[in-house]
Amino acid sequence: MARTDPLVAPMGTAAASRAVPQTTPRALVLLGKVAFWALLIVVAFFALFPIVWLVLGSIQTIQELYGGVTLIPAVPQFQNYYIAWTKGGFSVYIPNSVFYSTVVVLGVLLVASMAGYALARIEFPGRGVILMLVLAVIIVPLPATFVALYKLLVDLGLANSRTGYIVALVTGGLPVSIFILRGFFMRQPKELEDAAILDGCSAFDVYWRIMLPLARPGLAAVAVLEFLRVWNEYLLALVLFNSEVLMPVQRGLTKFVSSDTPEQQILLAATTMAVLPVIILYAVAQRSIIQGIMEGAVKA
Amino acid sequence: MAVAAASKPRPSSRTVGRAVTGYLFVLPAVVLLAVFTFYPFIQGVALSFQSWDGVARESPWVGTANYEKVFGDTIFWASMKTALVFGLIGYFVGNAISLGMAVAVNHLKRGATFFRIAYYVPGIFSVVVVGMMFAWLLQGSVGIVNRSLGAVGLDMLQHKWLTDPSTALASVSLAYVWYHWPLGFLLFLAGLQGVPRELYEAASIDGAGAWSRFRHVTWPQLIPVTTIISVLTMLGALQIFATVQVLTNGGPGYLTEVPTLRIYKEAFVNHRFGVAAAMSVLFGLILMALALTQIWFARRSGGEGE
Repeated sequence: MARTDPLVAPMGTAAASRAVPQTTPRALVLLGKVAFWALLIVVAFFALFPIVWLVLGSIQTIQELYGGVTLIPAVPQFQNYYIAWTKGGFSVYIPNSVFYSTVVVLGVLLVASMAGYALARIEFPGRGVILMLVLAVIIVPLPATFVALYKLLVDLGLANSRTGYIVALVTGGLPVSIFILRGFFMRQPKELEDAAILDGCSAFDVYWRIMLPLARPGLAAVAVLEFLRVWNEYLLALVLFNSEVLMPVQRGLTKFVSSDTPEQQILLAATTMAVLPVIILYAVAQRSIIQGIMEGAVKA
Repeated sequence: MAVAAASKPRPSSRTVGRAVTGYLFVLPAVVLLAVFTFYPFIQGVALSFQSWDGVARESPWVGTANYEKVFGDTIFWASMKTALVFGLIGYFVGNAISLGMAVAVNHLKRGATFFRIAYYVPGIFSVVVVGMMFAWLLQGSVGIVNRSLGAVGLDMLQHKWLTDPSTALASVSLAYVWYHWPLGFLLFLAGLQGVPRELYEAASIDGAGAWSRFRHVTWPQLIPVTTIISVLTMLGALQIFATVQVLTNGGPGYLTEVPTLRIYKEAFVNHRFGVAAAMSVLFGLILMALALTQIWFARRSGGEGE
C-alpha cells in the first residue's frame, strides 16, 4: 500500500496547479511536475528492468555473473545461446513452438471466423443458444478441466502427440476469438453482403471473398493474441508431453532447468530465446495486442 | 443438426437454406467445444467419483471416497488460502498501482503512448519466463536484489528470498503483482478515456478540487471496469501455477503451495487422478462462481448506466 500513496499525491498537485494557477507558487508547480515525471519513469524502470537484466546476463561469462555487478560484458558471450540451442534442446523446442503456434493460429482463425460470421450475420434457429454456450465456455477454467482433458486424450490415443496438443489449444482459443470476430462482422455494412447474394454468390463465397477481407483488422488482432497464448502456453504442454522431441519452448525451458543443473548464464540465454519472439511481436504489433486485450477482457 | 432443422416446416426454401448454411458454419466450432471442453468438464465430474492411476484402462467407481480424501487434505485447503492471499495482495497492491498509473498516464499530453507500451511489457511474458526472471533477480547469493541491498549498506535486509519461510510468499506475490498489474492498468486507462470531458469541465466550474473531482466524477464512471478488474485479479491469482512451480515449487514446505499445483502433483506425481479430479471440481466451482458474479455485476451496473 505504501507504494500507492506517492502515486496519487503528485497527480493531485499537477491537476490542482491547472485548476488554480494564480494561487500556487511557481516552484511548487515545478516540484509537482518533477515528482510526477519521476514517478512515471521509476515505474517504467521497474516494468522494464527484469527483462533488460535477463538479456544483459545472457551474454556474460559465469565469472562476470557471479563476480560482481556487470552491466555490459567485456566480450559478449553469444556462445551461451549456441550452447542452449544445441545442448539445451532449444533447436527442438523453438521449431516445435513455431509449428504449434502457426497451426493453432490458422486453425482458430478459420473455425472462429466461420462461427463468428454465422453468429453475427446468418439467422437460424438456436443461434442465441449456441452463442450463450460459447460464452459459457469462457468461464470454465483450465484448472477445472485439465485432469479430465488428459484422460480424454489418453482414451483417444492423443496424449503425448502433436495432434492432441493442437486440437486442445485450438478449442481453448475458440470462445474469445469467436466473440471478438463476431463483433467485427456485426460492424460491417450489410449492403455489400446483400449485393453479393443478389449477384448469386454462394454463402461460402460471401464469407470467404467479402466478409473475411473486411474483417482483416479483427483477424490480425486474433492472430496476434493467439500466437502469444500458444507461444506462452505451459500447463497443457506439461501434462501432455513426455517426449522431449514434441515439447514446445516453455515446457522445454522448465525441462532444461530441472536437468543436470545447467550454468546460470546458459539458463539466461535459454530464457531469452523463449521470450524473444514475444518481444519482437510486441514491438511490431503492440497496437493490436493492447486493443485485443481490452476488447477480449471487457466484452467477454 | 442441419437435417433436423431442414425437416421442420419453414416459410420459404431460402430461409431453410440460410439456416442450414448457418449450422454448417458453426458446426466445426460446436463439435470442437463439445468434445474438448464440455465433455471433459462432465468427464471430470465423473472421474471425481472414480479411481484412476493415469495408465490403466479401467477406472472403477469409488463413491465419495475421493471427496472424503480432499476434505481431509489440509494441504489442499491451505493452498486455497495461499492463493487467496495472492489474490488479496494483487487486489490491493496491484490494482492500486494499476489505477494510480492509469490516472497518471491519462493526464499526459505527451508521452502517453510510450508509457502505455512500456507499462504493458510485463504482461506479455509467459508465466514460466516470469518465474525464471524473478528467480534470477531474487537469487540468494548473487541476485541483483541482494547485491543492491549490500551496496547501499542494508545487508540486514538481505534474504534467501525464495527459501526463507518469512519471505517466500511475499516474493511470489511480488512476481504476481509485477506481471498482473499491467492488465488492470490497460483496462483502467480504457475506462478513464471513456469518461466524458464535459463532466470534468462542469466539476471545475463548480470549484471542485482534484480529489473531489476524482471521487465524484471519475470514480463512479470507473465502477464497471473496476468490477471486471477485481474478478480478473482474483481469478488470475487463484489459478497461479507456473510462476510458483518455477520459483518455489510450493515450498519451503507447503508454504507457497497453490491449488493448481496441488491438483497437478496429486494427479501426475502421486497418480491419484480421481482425487485430483475431485479437487478440480471443487476448485472449478469456486472459480466459476466468481466469474458468474462478475457477469452478474457487469450486467447490473451496465443496466443502471443506460
